[in-house]
Amino acid sequence: MNMKQLNRRQALLMGGAALAGGLGALPAFADVASEATIEASSEIAKGVAKKKPFRIGFSNGFSGNSWRTESLASMRKEAEKLKDVVGELIIVDGQGDIAKQVNDIEDLIVQNVDAIMCIPNSGTAVAPVLRKATRAGILTMPFNLPVEGGNYSAYVGVDPVSKGKLISEFFNTELKGKGKIVALGGLPGNSYTAAIWEATQKGLSKDIEILAFKDANWEEDRAKIVMADLIAAHPEIDGVWCDGGQVATGAMKALLAANRPLVPVTGDDYNGILKLYDAEKAKHPSFKILMVSEPTWQSVVALRETVKLVSGQDVPKYQLIGARTITGDNYEKFIKRDLPDGVCVDTDLSDEELKKIFS
Amino acid sequence: MAQLLARISPIWFAVILFYVLAGIVSPAMLSTGQALNVLQVAALLGLVATGQVIALLVGGIDLSVGGVVTLTNIVATSIMLGQDSSIPLAIAVCLLLGILVGALNGFMVAVLKVAPLITTLAMNSILFGAALVYTGGATRGTAAPAFKIIGQGAVLGIPLSAVAWLAVAIAVAVILRRTIFGRWIYAVGANSEAAALMGVPVKRTLIGAYVMCSVMAVLGGLLITSYIGNPSLGIGEQFLLNSVAAVVVGGAALTGGVGSAVATIGGALFMTVLVSFTNIARVSTGTQYIVQGALIILSVMVYRALAEKRRIT
Repeated sequence: MNMKQLNRRQALLMGGAALAGGLGALPAFADVASEATIEASSEIAKGVAKKKPFRIGFSNGFSGNSWRTESLASMRKEAEKLKDVVGELIIVDGQGDIAKQVNDIEDLIVQNVDAIMCIPNSGTAVAPVLRKATRAGILTMPFNLPVEGGNYSAYVGVDPVSKGKLISEFFNTELKGKGKIVALGGLPGNSYTAAIWEATQKGLSKDIEILAFKDANWEEDRAKIVMADLIAAHPEIDGVWCDGGQVATGAMKALLAANRPLVPVTGDDYNGILKLYDAEKAKHPSFKILMVSEPTWQSVVALRETVKLVSGQDVPKYQLIGARTITGDNYEKFIKRDLPDGVCVDTDLSDEELKKIFS
Repeated sequence: MAQLLARISPIWFAVILFYVLAGIVSPAMLSTGQALNVLQVAALLGLVATGQVIALLVGGIDLSVGGVVTLTNIVATSIMLGQDSSIPLAIAVCLLLGILVGALNGFMVAVLKVAPLITTLAMNSILFGAALVYTGGATRGTAAPAFKIIGQGAVLGIPLSAVAWLAVAIAVAVILRRTIFGRWIYAVGANSEAAALMGVPVKRTLIGAYVMCSVMAVLGGLLITSYIGNPSLGIGEQFLLNSVAAVVVGGAALTGGVGSAVATIGGALFMTVLVSFTNIARVSTGTQYIVQGALIILSVMVYRALAEKRRIT
């Protein structure tokens, strides 16, 4: 894929300028992550001008965690800003059920919306129904998790390969090219996790031994239980690869319970792991973190790109948000000490808005 | 001696045999630290399974235990907010919630005659929905420091969670074996019509059984909250079917009237050793699931064969 790199601010402002020409002024974006980049493919998705105000459907795969909650709040906020052009934002919840999500999208097709956005529960299962929608003249925008094939209008997400590369470099540096690590994944069979893990393995120094890969279902308690077993089995664990900050938190709590020193660990922008790092770093000099964020504001980029498409404007077919890293050097910028552990800190929502959501 | 052996539930032989076999394959399983770790983790499933066995004994099933654990975790952490002074209120509210859920389950099953599978599965959905509405998907709060002692602390090296679990399980075993209510539970499960003819208050017994089951799930939810300290909307899912598996592996019949709280301790230990062993053994997640499923089926088949043999001899 031929990609050109744009600063996220540039990308969003470009969209804003284009919209401003045809749709009126776009509100300013509360930019908390200006160093993030968006890579855009040279392949273009054709926009189709629809009648204003637009009716946009969003099929959310499920809504049972704080990432989805924040992401949805960001999207609603953005839709409110764009209310002159977005007449209706119809949100349907797949409740984690693959079949229900397909039905939800079918319902949106029947309602003849102008565009359908979705975060798929399964990248393969929604592919046919998105193709059906596209054929029916509806613009389609999957985001966050990839969809098999290219039978949709455009896609916005984070690049798992660049995430994996960063993580392998972290372990190579912290372990000085030699040591033993264990890996704790998310939901079994999740293709996004698999892609990050594969890229990590490719980049790891050959003297770093992988002792085990176990799934922890993105749950802190499961991660703690699995890690406790791995601690019993392996007297030496020099690093822990984790899919998600809550998994990293559970794994570190297991090390603490076993009176073992905390070790280099990876994850994402979960507030709990930053708080744990803040509390334990002085007692555990070997405790290092590399948290590669999964921005909740992807939904805002996706909505803006969707609005561009239904305004008749072309957009890049694929846009990949560059991975942002949180380490011991910059975590102070991200940590939210007054907010719950569950908060995903790479967000465009203000602390006040987050407090409202988490209260 | 032979008589004594015959009185011991086969699950205990299965637990010891499997533990030794797992130890031969992965010697780390046999370390004292790992044995204590297994006990600590088994307590989480064990408490929920102690309730589940009561539901199975009356010929029912409780698939709402997952929802009860989740809601307990969410409500307890949001009330405690990390403050020791809020612990009694959090526990009281969660217990009340458990009694209410159990009473509703029991009422639906006993009075409205809705199948237990449907009633409790629907209740599970309602409870998860309630947790989602209550949090709006954004969980808040944390367990109080003093509350974490029960799930994370130890007395003379033995995890407190295991002590709490075994105490509750033995208390339930005494209720089931030594009280009139316990006998009613077995009688209703074996044949509710015959029990009614003998004067057993079937409806009250059923409602009581479901209340006890929900209260055990609340205790399990409180224990896992204490173990991890944080709220999570997905925390209870693992208990939904695992609690049934632990009870069945422990020798209870899905048809009711057969099973015991003490054997369920063995069932929970077996399930935990199984998961722990497959975590330690270098197998992929897929193989892990296959091995777990196959060993559950195998253990139930062996159990049945042994029980059959005993009936003949």
